[in-house]
Amino acid sequence: MNILTIDNLSKNYGKIQALQQVSFSVPQGTVYGILGPNGSGKTTMLGIVMDVLKSSGGSYRLFDEMPNETHRKRMGTLLETPNFYHYLSAVQNLKIAAKIKQRGEDDIDRVIEVVGLTQRKNSPFSSYSLGMKQRLAIGSALLGNPEVLVLDEPTNGLDPVGIAEIRSLIMSLASQGKTIIMASHMLDEVEKVCTHVAILKYGKLIASGDVNEILVNEDVVELAASNLDALKNMLTSFPNILSIQIKDKAVQMNLPQGTANMESINKFCFDNNIVLTHLQLKKKSLETKFLELTN
Amino acid sequence: MLELLKIEWLKLKNYKAFLIIGIFFILGIFITNYMVLTIFNKMVDKTEAGMLLGKFMPYDFKHVWQTTSYASGYILILPVMLLIMLVTNEFTYKTSRQNIIDGISRLDFIHVKIILATLFAIISTIFVVITGFALASTTGTEFSLYGFSQVGYFFLKAITYNFIAVFISVLIKRTGFAIGVYFIYMSAENIIAQLLDVWSMKIKADSKLDLGSLGSYLPMNASDSLLSFPDNPFQSFAKKAFPTDYHYLTISIALFFVVLFYWLSRSIILKKDL
Repeated sequence: MNILTIDNLSKNYGKIQALQQVSFSVPQGTVYGILGPNGSGKTTMLGIVMDVLKSSGGSYRLFDEMPNETHRKRMGTLLETPNFYHYLSAVQNLKIAAKIKQRGEDDIDRVIEVVGLTQRKNSPFSSYSLGMKQRLAIGSALLGNPEVLVLDEPTNGLDPVGIAEIRSLIMSLASQGKTIIMASHMLDEVEKVCTHVAILKYGKLIASGDVNEILVNEDVVELAASNLDALKNMLTSFPNILSIQIKDKAVQMNLPQGTANMESINKFCFDNNIVLTHLQLKKKSLETKFLELTN
Repeated sequence: MLELLKIEWLKLKNYKAFLIIGIFFILGIFITNYMVLTIFNKMVDKTEAGMLLGKFMPYDFKHVWQTTSYASGYILILPVMLLIMLVTNEFTYKTSRQNIIDGISRLDFIHVKIILATLFAIISTIFVVITGFALASTTGTEFSLYGFSQVGYFFLKAITYNFIAVFISVLIKRTGFAIGVYFIYMSAENIIAQLLDVWSMKIKADSKLDLGSLGSYLPMNASDSLLSFPDNPFQSFAKKAFPTDYHYLTISIALFFVVLFYWLSRSIILKKDL
């Protein structure tokens, strides 16, 4: 089953095209990262899916059905900013959320504990720091233990400890089989927790799919010798090799991140009676990959 | 729908403005009417105008429903302000978004505000009835429901004012700005209504065409014009120059505007980005 299917979704703000015919789907049980620079349309897209924004074209489905409010009750969502009644406390705010979601109030204390707000649970929301507001918003999304979580920039405003906490929280939720849709502009965040990724730029989808296919994060070594086929055959026995192919009159060898050592590669070739004419490390970090995709 | 109202109650019960405006409103209705009663009592006894008025008593049971309904109308601005604050708060805090994200439909979101506006009108009407009954009881006259239809018109006026408040709130979304627009609209409509009334008198005098008072076909003035201070010897002279009061037409127009403002508020919430 697909939790979310987006089909040719578009959104205009006057002349500005915030979202242009975006299509992809989120299978059940995945941690789906939506990656893109600021203003790429991540929040707009999630806003449409949550029915707070109206699309200019295209459609979407939730749980393989025509979307309605009962689907939203099954999802825990944090969209853009924490939205709460300023004069109410964490508990009072979550009571409202629980009632809307038609869940019992018995889960409120648990989620407040999970996000570490127990000490301040009766203080008014207006007295919270940015990080505490964000924590409460995450707590609200967790309310009632929903099967799907939609988190838009979940670590916004959190301190490093908070970021680590939320990351491990997301990973533990994912291991429970929950589907998590997470929008972020933080690459390492997506890299560390996501199984799938969709990359948006200026409202256009430029890539989507398995995170290992989209964001290859390996050392790439380019080699050449007089006989490329012999070089390739010989290198298949190189320790820890991930993949190898002939590309652009050179051999491209992929090694795990940070393990490529030019000296040992050169020595390995020489010991195997092949003299290299070209040897270059093309380190492809996630960041260059992302910049490559989005530029 | 009861569940939705319970959610609204959770938002309301800890909202300080709700408590403060609520108290001022209840006191306001009582004090306004009590002042009118006191002034009349003094005037009737001591002034020449009072001699002319003779035994006219606005708070005896024969007139009380009309007098309280008319005099309490001015206090309706308090529940209107509370409503504007409640509805625009949802937009300032972006809780309108959160409510919908959490699983309220857009239709339910606007419907519960409309129901709240209706409840405020019902509660206001109940307080008018209580105040009227209490003050009339002090006059020692015999209990009567004569002119009780005026209480109905008060309810219609409260509903109209409240629905306009909801409409302006969802249209403008900012608290201070919405309250400002409400007051400006109220003044503007009154000025236009007076000009239209003068014009309709002119039409009547010039062409014998009696369209009624055109000013009372405007949203607020429609229900306003259904309410008036009880007839007294002063008013009877002036009335002859006025165009005919098409009573049921005015009621229909007032009802039409209630439905219109509901429909406009609903359309905005259903169709626009929140």
